[in-house]
Amino acid sequence: MATPVSGLSLLRTLLMSIAAIAAFFLIDTLLARTEKAESRASAGRAYENGMRLIQQGRSLDAVGQFKEAISLARENPAYPLALAQALLAADRLPEAEATLSDLLQHDGTGGAPNLAMARVLAKEGKFMDAVSYYHRAIYGRWTGDPVHNRIQARSELVDLLVANHSTEGLLAELLPLQQEAPGDLTTQKKLALAFTEAGSPARGAELFRGVLRREPQDPDAYAGLGEAEFARGNYRAARVNFEAALRLRPADEASRQRLDLSNQVLALDPAQRGLSREEQYRRSLKILELAVASATSCLVSPASATTKDLIDSANNGLKLQIHPARRVEAMEKNMQLADRIWQIRRNECKGAPATAIDLVLGKAAQ
Amino acid sequence: MDELRHSENHLVLVLSLLIGALVGLVIVAFILLTGRFAARMYPAGGAGWRRILVPTLGSLVTGYLLWRFFPSARGSGIPQTKAALFIHDGRITFRTVVGKFLCCSASLASGMALGREGPSVHIGAGLASVIARNTGLSSKQVKALVPVGCSAALAAAFNTPIAAVLFSLEEIMGDLNATVLGTAVLSSATSWMVLHLVLGDDPLFHVTGYRLVNPWELAIYAVLGVVGGLGSTVFVKLLLHLREWFARLPRNTVWLQPVAGGLAVGIMGYFNPNVMGVGYNFVEKVLNGDVVLQTVVLLGVLKIAATAMCYSSGNAGGIFGPSLFIGAMMGAAVGSVAHTLFPSVTAGPGAYALVGMGTAFAGIVRTPLTSVIMIFEVTRDYTIIVPLMISNLIAFFISYKLQQEPIYEALAHQDGIHLPTAEVRAQAAKSQVVHTMREAPIILTPDTLAGAALEQVKDSLLDAWPVADRQGLCGMLRSAELEKVRADGSAAKEVRDLLNEQSRDHPHALESAHVHPDHVLGLALERMGSSGLRTLPVVSRANERQLLGIVVLDDILNFYGVHQSSDESGTRE
Repeated sequence: MATPVSGLSLLRTLLMSIAAIAAFFLIDTLLARTEKAESRASAGRAYENGMRLIQQGRSLDAVGQFKEAISLARENPAYPLALAQALLAADRLPEAEATLSDLLQHDGTGGAPNLAMARVLAKEGKFMDAVSYYHRAIYGRWTGDPVHNRIQARSELVDLLVANHSTEGLLAELLPLQQEAPGDLTTQKKLALAFTEAGSPARGAELFRGVLRREPQDPDAYAGLGEAEFARGNYRAARVNFEAALRLRPADEASRQRLDLSNQVLALDPAQRGLSREEQYRRSLKILELAVASATSCLVSPASATTKDLIDSANNGLKLQIHPARRVEAMEKNMQLADRIWQIRRNECKGAPATAIDLVLGKAAQ
Repeated sequence: MDELRHSENHLVLVLSLLIGALVGLVIVAFILLTGRFAARMYPAGGAGWRRILVPTLGSLVTGYLLWRFFPSARGSGIPQTKAALFIHDGRITFRTVVGKFLCCSASLASGMALGREGPSVHIGAGLASVIARNTGLSSKQVKALVPVGCSAALAAAFNTPIAAVLFSLEEIMGDLNATVLGTAVLSSATSWMVLHLVLGDDPLFHVTGYRLVNPWELAIYAVLGVVGGLGSTVFVKLLLHLREWFARLPRNTVWLQPVAGGLAVGIMGYFNPNVMGVGYNFVEKVLNGDVVLQTVVLLGVLKIAATAMCYSSGNAGGIFGPSLFIGAMMGAAVGSVAHTLFPSVTAGPGAYALVGMGTAFAGIVRTPLTSVIMIFEVTRDYTIIVPLMISNLIAFFISYKLQQEPIYEALAHQDGIHLPTAEVRAQAAKSQVVHTMREAPIILTPDTLAGAALEQVKDSLLDAWPVADRQGLCGMLRSAELEKVRADGSAAKEVRDLLNEQSRDHPHALESAHVHPDHVLGLALERMGSSGLRTLPVVSRANERQLLGIVVLDDILNFYGVHQSSDESGTRE
């Protein structure tokens, strides 16, 4: 038991302490508010400077401004997002990723940070992670214009899938995108191309035709429609569209190459409608001749006994004079022989570009 | 209120809450004012001449104020707090608190390369002392409230409530088992709460999450420990030598001496503004990996020189914050080199800067446990703890080997104050009853007749003998009781009766007349004094009736080497 302290001095001290606490609380609150307001204003100025620098293409300088803004007002998520975008533009990808990771820890469902992270990961070549973040961005929370932002995110995802030739999943992204996307020609053409890439050239062709109905002088749409028809095996329609594209844009080298290939296919294909039996047989001989020539030029000698037998057999067949009545049978035999030689050639001579004969034999196999 | 008046323990609890809140708010005001003034006195991107003029004039003004009005407010505040605690019964005057607040605010706002944490601790301790004394508490309770104020101050200054409590116990009290733990925690938590209420939930440094990239990295953290230990020693020795040099200057120059520090930091700041002030903004940049090797090396060296100069010339401000700055620069330098040489197995320089902060703190302030917890609390990042512990211990060991006296004790020593060192406290822990106790030469039983008992003890020099039955110790029978038997001839009485009579005559004196083996000898002496016995029973903590031996006054005096007993065994020859 301690000696009792003086009641008066105790009461006075307690009251004075409480009064001091109240006074300092007011002072501190005032100081903190002023400080915070000033910090926010300075942060806002730094952010605006950064955005201006970004527009001028000076992303490295913008990084410093955004960092300044963050240190002054940490509570504003726009600043780290802008920093990450500047870092991405400056190719400082690990830093951008780290910044976005921090941001996503606090706001994991935000559409904008997830989209930025997806862009960073895509640029880093982390394909699967990027796809995952694109999905989070698409289904995430957007504060302003969510429809447009979601379409933008899905559209970027489609680009990524196309660029990585990832047809799996591409169609799944394209179908909702087709529903949501605006009807402008650029978007429609982009969608049509993506559908063609995704293995749905019929949808692609349909969209291109829609574009051409609205803009009949669009060379891109003709070229795209040509590609779609080519992918569908409609080489005649492909030729017509490539020719139209070249009429509108004569310097279009890609369309010219595709037109040449289409012409070659059309010139070789024995299964085309309207050809005489004589012509069909002649084309089968031509295909067999091309297959033998191509295989002989690329196969490493000495070729295997089977290959040698096949080539000898083909050479003999090319020399034979066939009676017109047996030419249908001979044509089928030539095509089968050409296909077998071509299979061997395809396995042995890897890396050789696709040629008309590939397409013709492929079509014949179907 | 009446209950509070009569129970010091309850009052101390209430005061811990009040002190926590008040100190927290005062320290927040101190930090905010200092920051605002600093931003206006030498703004970023301002003219170079301002960076020379402001600290020079600032140190001139504060130097005069310190000399003329507030001589006790000079320096860091931590040695002064310890001196108040151990020497002046916890007394710190209100004038000192006001002086510390004003002079440190002015000093730090003018760009001195000093810290705000040491002064905050002094202000907090001072406020606790003032409140405790004004409520009329005993000097023991005033002393108990001083570390409570320290905890509250550090929790608010550094936003580290756990490290604040640990620092108060480890550095200020020098005892991690101090009984003030509960009240220190209470005030620290209260202070931290008001800090969050006013400033929000922001750690002092925002740091990207770091982790150990490869186990081999621990070797580099060990190298950082060596660098940190050596750097800490250089800083401490330089500061102490400069302070000694300033102390040798004529007394009438004391008011002018701080100008040397102000001018030095001004000149350095003219070329590199980051050396001025507390520098936490730059530390945060470094912690986040914004590191240029040449810059961090240069700043580390400049900060060591600037802080040593500012502190030793007598400016008001601490070395707590500069330790962290220096550590961050050393860590960033080591990390930068390591990351350049071994990029695949090392984290970025920011991780090393983070560990470097704790390393320098452990090397300079010598509180390794506080430093580990503090870095964890500052960054809220647990992943770097193991490298931090390794690095800290190496720095602590090297610093201890090269500079045995810790900096705060050395500073107090230079001022002619001899604080109890860790060694002294360790020595006190060695002086326990177990070191002097011995077996009881005679144990009487309660049913022994007084005459027989007299016969048993006739050759003994002890003044009391233990009485025990089968259940254990019943009490200590004084020689005076037996002498009475001899005088009145009642030899037929049993020892039990004599014990009962003795209890009636001295109801309270003998109640606590026992000790345990782990009690310090000082307590044994105290109990001998209060009971009037020179012989006390030593009993088990698990069973107070289990007699383990006795402790005799002569043996205690022999232990301290102040008395040679004529009878080592306690029996007449």
